[in-house]
Amino acid sequence: MKTPLFSTRPESPRAKGSATVLLVVFLLAAAAGFAALKAATDKVVRAKLPGASIIYIPSGKFLRYATFGYRALAADLIYLWAIQYYSTPTIDDRFDHLDHVFAIINELDPRYQDPYEVGALIAVQEARDVRAAFAILDRGAANNPDQWVYPFNAGHVALMTLKDYPVAEKYFEQTMKIPGAPEFVERLRANAIFRKGDLKTSWETWLDIFQRAPDERTKRIASNHLYNVKATIDAVALEDAAAKYRERFGRLPADLGTLVRTGFLREVPKDLDGKDYLYDPATGKVRTAISPWRR
Amino acid sequence: MKIGAIAGITFKEAKRDRILYLLFFFAALGIAASRVLAILTVGDRVKIIKDVGLASIAVFGVLMAILIGTGLVYKEIDKKTIFTLLAKPLHRAEFILGKFLGLVLTLFVMTSAMTLIFLAIVYAHTLKIEAGLLIAIAYIFLELVLITAVAIFFSSFSTPILSSLFALAFYLIGHLSWGLELIIKKMPPGTGRTLVRALYLVLPDLENFNFKTEVVHALPIPPGIYLSSFLYGVCYTAFILGLAVLVFRRRDFI
Repeated sequence: MKTPLFSTRPESPRAKGSATVLLVVFLLAAAAGFAALKAATDKVVRAKLPGASIIYIPSGKFLRYATFGYRALAADLIYLWAIQYYSTPTIDDRFDHLDHVFAIINELDPRYQDPYEVGALIAVQEARDVRAAFAILDRGAANNPDQWVYPFNAGHVALMTLKDYPVAEKYFEQTMKIPGAPEFVERLRANAIFRKGDLKTSWETWLDIFQRAPDERTKRIASNHLYNVKATIDAVALEDAAAKYRERFGRLPADLGTLVRTGFLREVPKDLDGKDYLYDPATGKVRTAISPWRR
Repeated sequence: MKIGAIAGITFKEAKRDRILYLLFFFAALGIAASRVLAILTVGDRVKIIKDVGLASIAVFGVLMAILIGTGLVYKEIDKKTIFTLLAKPLHRAEFILGKFLGLVLTLFVMTSAMTLIFLAIVYAHTLKIEAGLLIAIAYIFLELVLITAVAIFFSSFSTPILSSLFALAFYLIGHLSWGLELIIKKMPPGTGRTLVRALYLVLPDLENFNFKTEVVHALPIPPGIYLSSFLYGVCYTAFILGLAVLVFRRRDFI
């Protein structure tokens, strides 16, 4: 006996109605079936190949032609995907192609600012790949020469994370040349020069900042740094003299005046405020009486 | 019986379609070109051959299913041959199922031919036939069966161009719907999340038929997924065909 669905006889309205009901029931059952099976299939853990999804991503130069004029849209989509991809901790080696992925976005849309900053942030904070961060920020600076934020961020990474002070100085100097760069960048550069160990240039730089300071706050900051630079220069000279004294007499001097009396120093220098330095005869170390930042 | 007759006629009709051979030619070219691409790589050449070969079978198979499937029902209506067919003791559901099975048979023959070329090229490099590749191709074929049902569904009420676009959209959605899972994970519990979850369950997930990466890299495939993916494909195909029959039953050709 044929079901109403496959009946070849002319259908009565009632038979047609029952066939439709049968079909709808079938559809509902099928839909429930595939939804349940989908949920069941999702529960099966499939092997994943870390990073396999991006090994075929071509360079942005090629994609520029392949996107048929939708370069900015392609950049948006890859950027959105990258955010999801790099925030998936289960992909162990997701950072292997970090620079390549962000280079694609940068090449597709060189004026799209966020990917440079976010890419560098991911490189430093998540991937611990400072070189990739520099590569991304350098591209940002090259593609957007009017934006000071890229060399500034690179300088910040060099100063705080890499602790490569010559590199930090170079980036801050580059930042200062871009119109609109904040005035505190020259102070960061002066600090990088100080940490680099170039005390003479550091003194000259802080002095220049002090003399050109537009307000009292900046003048005070520069003054504190000048105090710190002078204290460091003086401490180096005093500790060096104390070391030479020990070489000759086999012991450290009892006080700093001894160094003058024995001819190792012409005079005992005072700090920028005219106060004496504190000397520890047990270690030969010299320090200021107060913190340079709490004068 | 009638379904078999319609399927046989559909198969004969599809065999005469030049676009089938054009697509087959490009598929064969794509599979053969994998050999050239492999030369350009540094490292595992066989991997490139497998990747490109499996992708060619999948992509050109889908194009065959869409480009031929979307015209199947429309042609009968456009050429008025539908009147002759439906005047006979033939139900519309039989007509749809016959058309579907005829195209599935055509795709089976074409997929088998592409597989032979592909396996021959792989054999020339590895001197062995890998059963895993056949598993990947079997599930590609299951995906093609579903796409065929979708193409026939759209063909039952729309023009071939629109049907092709809709079917292609279905294919793209099917391979991108996993993105919803990521969104669900990041959404706070509530109505929005429930709606997205419902959408995620209803939209096709063609990644269930994608075993290409596992097979190429010889990764272990959990046995349970074979059955659930197969049944998922069968259920979804049945659902789409049911919809096609429902729509086609209500159509008025005069």
